[in-house]
Amino acid sequence: MASNPMQQFTVFRIGPEIKIAGVDLSFTNASLFMVISASIILFFLFFGSKEKKIIPDKIQLMAEMFYSFVAKMISDTAGTKAKPFFPFIFSLFMFVLFCNMVGMLPYSFTVTSHIIVTLIMALFIFVAVTIIGFVKHGFKYLSIFVPSGVPAVLLPLITIIEIISYLSRPVSLSVRLFANMMAGHTMLKVFGSFVVSLGILGGWLPLSFSVALTGLEILVAFLQAYVFAILTCIYLNDALNLHH
Amino acid sequence: MKSFISLAIAVAAIDKELYAAEAGMPQLDPTYWASQAFWLVLVFLILYISISKFYLPKIKENLDNRENKIKEDIDNASKFKKQSEVRQKEYELILKNAKKEVSKILFESKNILDKEIKTKKEAMEKEIEKEILKAQKEISELKKNSISSVQNISENIVSNIIENISGDKLNESSIKATVEDISKKNISKFL
Repeated sequence: MASNPMQQFTVFRIGPEIKIAGVDLSFTNASLFMVISASIILFFLFFGSKEKKIIPDKIQLMAEMFYSFVAKMISDTAGTKAKPFFPFIFSLFMFVLFCNMVGMLPYSFTVTSHIIVTLIMALFIFVAVTIIGFVKHGFKYLSIFVPSGVPAVLLPLITIIEIISYLSRPVSLSVRLFANMMAGHTMLKVFGSFVVSLGILGGWLPLSFSVALTGLEILVAFLQAYVFAILTCIYLNDALNLHH
Repeated sequence: MKSFISLAIAVAAIDKELYAAEAGMPQLDPTYWASQAFWLVLVFLILYISISKFYLPKIKENLDNRENKIKEDIDNASKFKKQSEVRQKEYELILKNAKKEVSKILFESKNILDKEIKTKKEAMEKEIEKEILKAQKEISELKKNSISSVQNISENIVSNIIENISGDKLNESSIKATVEDISKKNISKFL
């Protein structure tokens, strides 16, 4: 194993090189773990919805808990108007959560620790939310940049700040997830290499740190998926229910 | 805090080997960006379609079924409860009527009994009165008789005493008058 803590994020090609119109679209380890995560989700949901029991078994109960968890999250933050977007939010939450969780397994690859992945998701959400806003409210949607009840003197400044904060949404959304994932895995790797380098005598302290950090990282993996989904809901809420 | 650390690491990595991304931050190496984007979109699309078309409706149906079943059960329970309440009311009504009947019967029999007792009592009282009257009559007759016999005895005694004392026979009618006079004076003492 290489001691470089950043090596775990290296993307490499698996199988033949696929080039379409000069663009390299080869299947990589990142793609593999996307497929693995998605497959786990689909298997989980398949077994979770296969038997329609009145009293659910464990896996059915878990699937239903995920369903009601996301449903409650959406209805709490974005209201009933966001119901058509429930499948998207649910898929997004499940995908991010399972990518994060699969990334916690040793020797696995964390899909969400790559800025390009999170940025594409965040940009898609940003563009989609903006389109939804304009479709629902027309040019009135621009009033999102003009908060009500602000003194006229401050209005230009506030508007500029609002525009900047609106435009920085995809950046903050993507960097938050990417940075959390990358930092956690880097720290785990660093402490792991400390265990190896300090050996049987001194390695216990970093090992205990590693154990604690693993627990923390699992929490972070869940939390970041939740945050990603709930921020999407909040952005959606802004677009659906114009408050100003 | 977390993101700060990661940014610090990122910045340090970028500073050290800015142009060798595979040694610093593999995330910033654009070689496989297109591939990652492509596979992300593909995988997520498949995931989204299968979730929204197959799994979510199934789960939702399942949840709705359960909710309906629970609602149905609750409805049934409340129906049965209502039925039992009706039955309870019926039972109470029957009980009430029965109680009324009982009290009525009790009242009637008491009345009959009272009447019987009354008539019997009256009859008894009449009889007793009769007996008393009879007894009183007898007593008064007896008294009367006794007075007249006492008078007779007194007359005889008086005539005998006078005869013995004086040796003369007095007129019987005068003795009778005197005795009657005295007994009349004293009769109230005895009657």
